[in-house]
Amino acid sequence: MSVKIAGDLRSGNVIMVDNVPVIALKVQINKSGRNTAVVKVRTKNLLTSRVSEAIFKADEKLEGVMLEKKECTYSYYSEPSHVFVDSEYNQYEIDAESLSDIEKYLSPDMTDICEVTFYEGRPISVVLPQTIIREVEYTEPVARGDTSGKITKSAILKDTKHDLQVSSFVEIGDKIEIDTVTGEFKRRCT
Amino acid sequence: MISWDIFCKVVDNYGDIGTCWRLAQQLAFEYNANVRLWIDNIESFSCLCPSLSIDVSRQHVGPIEIRHWKSDFPTVDVADVVIEAFACDLPQVYIEGMTRRAVAPVWINLEYLSAEDWVEGCHLMQSPQSRSSLKKHFFFPGFTSKTGGLIRERDLDSLRAAFGPTVAAGFLRSLGVDSKTDDELQISLFCYDNPALPRLLQCWADGRTSVRVLAATGAATEQVSVWFGEEFSADRKLQRRSLTVHALPFLSQSHYDRLLWACDINFVRGEDSFVRAQWAERPFVWQIYPQAQNGQLVKLAAFLTRYLDNFEHSDVVRRFWQAWNGVGDIESAWHGFVANRKSIQEHGKVWVNQLDQTADLANNLAHLVRRK
Repeated sequence: MSVKIAGDLRSGNVIMVDNVPVIALKVQINKSGRNTAVVKVRTKNLLTSRVSEAIFKADEKLEGVMLEKKECTYSYYSEPSHVFVDSEYNQYEIDAESLSDIEKYLSPDMTDICEVTFYEGRPISVVLPQTIIREVEYTEPVARGDTSGKITKSAILKDTKHDLQVSSFVEIGDKIEIDTVTGEFKRRCT
Repeated sequence: MISWDIFCKVVDNYGDIGTCWRLAQQLAFEYNANVRLWIDNIESFSCLCPSLSIDVSRQHVGPIEIRHWKSDFPTVDVADVVIEAFACDLPQVYIEGMTRRAVAPVWINLEYLSAEDWVEGCHLMQSPQSRSSLKKHFFFPGFTSKTGGLIRERDLDSLRAAFGPTVAAGFLRSLGVDSKTDDELQISLFCYDNPALPRLLQCWADGRTSVRVLAATGAATEQVSVWFGEEFSADRKLQRRSLTVHALPFLSQSHYDRLLWACDINFVRGEDSFVRAQWAERPFVWQIYPQAQNGQLVKLAAFLTRYLDNFEHSDVVRRFWQAWNGVGDIESAWHGFVANRKSIQEHGKVWVNQLDQTADLANNLAHLVRRK
């Protein structure tokens, strides 16, 4: 067993809850008071497939589960699963529900090296790199003379059509860096 | 009689112990609960509760048992309800006692107050504990019926209603503050170190309206002292043109409520005084606890969105609050705020009426316990 700090939990991690292995499907970290945070996790029981939710303090120690991991790249979507492939061209299918937290970043063109996790030989989750780069398909241009003082605006990503807030200077076609843990825009890539 | 253990660690200031002390009293007096309050910093607590003995590890204040929470935690009977306030960590020996208890206690993590949307989705969620079968409940104070509500004593409204002008004048005299004139603006000032304060003091000094500031001991009086270039301790008064500032002694919680009721505008900070200022139904401005990477501005914005909903002068309030929290020009924002003071005060009553639709925090805690 390993120790996992709740604040470091990411979608795809496997932890023990009530002596049962569960996989984190969606991790939401919210800043509370005085620089503390709470972590809300939607989990799936790996034995029963039951989905439930739990909450932890961000500094809480959880029991992690040592699992096999492999570096893979994304290949394609074949309902109801996403397919990843390793360096030896072995394919691994993972159901989309298990990847609900990262689906918004999965596109056929992506070359990011992902980490596929296996439980008893079965691929159960994928962890993306901490940051990824994606192209903006659409965003409102900044109007000249705009004195609204807005510093962020909505942008749609290419392929996935995921909508996120970006800095007002981002333009259509820009490549932007995204934090896959927080889902936040980090910077425009030149 | 249900027994409650409330654990409180003082991180800084008086907000943690202030909230826990109010809660302990309300549970004891309104719910007939058997309350034991564990506090790691008795000295801080004694400022709020002067009757406490600092060097006594076990004592009573009225019906409430006060225990000094030290590193060598004693073996004690675990209560029916255990509250870890503001995400403090319980002593390991106490948790072991909880697991051995024949009937598991109701274990509650009392979280920080926030107006953000995510709070509703986290309130009352369970937190499985990896080393035991115990379940901890996360309890979030808040401003809607889907949260845990706010601390509010049953007699608060009646006490405030009885606090008329004559009583207010007598109260202020007891603090060494003489009666204000009708054209004087009386302001209470309770803040963290605030870069906007010197400019505001200047604005008040240069203004045409007489402004009387009643400043709380601490960061407020320290900054005032620097601005005046003079020592400024309790019971002293400093004046510069239109501005007069009184340094107040440390006030008990009930006296602080009365201060808020007696003033025209209240400057508050943190969590406890922020809530009390709302119940006071006077215009107020909140300096939120600073967080890393200006995270507090998100929380400030979340509250303003709720508080200013359907208010025609929301822009002047928002501008002033943002300026007081470091965003924008404080002087111009102040002029807009004070010019709309009466309207803001009326809106404060509308806001409290809205909060009245939600049961108070102690009531919601008691309800949770009854369900378990």
